Amino acid sequence: MDWTESFRKAWVVTDLTSRYLLATRRVIATALLAAVPLILTLSLAAARVAIFDISLFQILMIPLFLQVVLIFVTLVNATALIREEIDDNTLPFLLTRPISKPALVTYKYVGYLIAVLVLLVPPLILAYGVTEAYRGLGFTTDLDVLWGFLATTVLGSAAYGALFLFISVLIRRPLAGGLLIGFVWESVVGSIPGDVPKLSVIHYLRTILSHVVAIGPLNGYAPDLSAGVAAGILIAFSIAMVILSAFVFQQMEFRQKAG
Amino acid sequence: MNGVVEAAGVSKWYGEVLGLNAFTASFGQGITGLVGPNGAGKSTLFKLLIGQLRSDQGNITLLGENPWNNVPLKRRLGYCPEQNQLYGWLTGQQFVEVLLRLDGMPAAKARVEATAALKVVGLSNAAHRPTRGYSRGMRQRAKLAQALAHHPEILILDEPLSGADPAGRVHILRTISDFARDGGHVLMSTHVLYEIERITNNIVLIHNGKAIAAGNIHAIRALIDEHPHAVRIDTAKPRQLAQALARMDHVVSFEFPASDTLVVRTRQPDAFYRELPQIVSDTKLEVHGLESPDDSLDAVFRYLVG
Repeated sequence: MDWTESFRKAWVVTDLTSRYLLATRRVIATALLAAVPLILTLSLAAARVAIFDISLFQILMIPLFLQVVLIFVTLVNATALIREEIDDNTLPFLLTRPISKPALVTYKYVGYLIAVLVLLVPPLILAYGVTEAYRGLGFTTDLDVLWGFLATTVLGSAAYGALFLFISVLIRRPLAGGLLIGFVWESVVGSIPGDVPKLSVIHYLRTILSHVVAIGPLNGYAPDLSAGVAAGILIAFSIAMVILSAFVFQQMEFRQKAG
Repeated sequence: MNGVVEAAGVSKWYGEVLGLNAFTASFGQGITGLVGPNGAGKSTLFKLLIGQLRSDQGNITLLGENPWNNVPLKRRLGYCPEQNQLYGWLTGQQFVEVLLRLDGMPAAKARVEATAALKVVGLSNAAHRPTRGYSRGMRQRAKLAQALAHHPEILILDEPLSGADPAGRVHILRTISDFARDGGHVLMSTHVLYEIERITNNIVLIHNGKAIAAGNIHAIRALIDEHPHAVRIDTAKPRQLAQALARMDHVVSFEFPASDTLVVRTRQPDAFYRELPQIVSDTKLEVHGLESPDDSLDAVFRYLVG
């Protein structure tokens, strides 16, 4: 195998995908949503809310960022990776080049990850910075909180993205399926007793975050796993979903407009 | 089996719809025209050849190899899809360059080859404009540029003339002819026999998923000539253009289905396509696109297959 050539192809698909996700009109909606944490903290600072501090930041960010912003941004971008190219009839340009379908899926997933982190991470860091600055504290004062949110952002983006990518190669209308899983299953699963919550991504994200955040929705949350194990499970889940997506994509036929 | 394309009893179903019906044919070297009305199975055959579909029955080979999930074979083919969508935010130059780099070409070489391919198809002037602003004819040429830029052995072109303006058609046909003259093979579909006859006599007629005739086509052409051939022209001044075209004695009728559309029926399509550019040039009327609705061809096919 020519590694230089493989790397070149990987870079081209990754770059094309991230530019596709960041340069088309969808980015306006996703960037606005990704900026909600920053907009919210700026609003709280501008309104001079007395109780606005790192505790309020955490209380607000868990439901808002983890359960709405993260899921929506990953859903919109991950389901567009393959399905949108099928619907737009641009996929034949890629499929008639000497690159295997599993490689195409993998490189597109990497491109997705870059695009989504570009959208999500800067507003989160800035929102944290605004919170600390409002209290007159240094940027590093509550760095563990920032690291906790950044870790869940990266791992959540990877896991949700892989899951939604898999859904998008399985069904024709992945947004509907993704909405159902992202906003219904992931919301209610925490209230189901027993081991059922372990069948959700949010369970492991909460587990990671609960080691640094013990207030608001995570007050009294008793994780049964260490943060490292939870992170390992999310990484393994992401890899498994990407492999499954690649396998399904390898067997897919592309009818498009039949002549 | 030593043809460029060999198909033996190939069938493809889309649910209960039959896309190809025990299609058997062998396409040789040079340019082969695949002619048939919309829905005849041309695009299905092409998608089988580029490995986008898998046959339900029978065997199909391209350059002696099974195309399904055959990555190395893709280096040897250039494909121009029927659909006109491109990556709209990329310029023509970037579009061709990106696809060349997927062939494993280094960036510098891809730039040079992309520039050359765009020049061949006559798109140099628009190379640095985003493709979302391209006309249908320009998109056809951009698709052709990406198909031939990596110097493939075979070009598979699905309706490459659809929607192109008269000058664009001439450019595209010349590019295809030059590619074949330099030793390349071309498989090109159209539902307009007269377009492809200008570059090859080697034609396969396809209807209802079956190859119904192959080889030199003059006899069948004579039958087809008995049926008036419809040409739809997009122009801002359809009535003025109709006036100018009325001097052609082979024109049978005109229709004006929309304020910017003229449909002409002619008994001599060859002559019509030959004389049209001169008339358009003399009258200085703008023609934005040409289409040949396949109803007349469909009638001929129904006649041929009984």
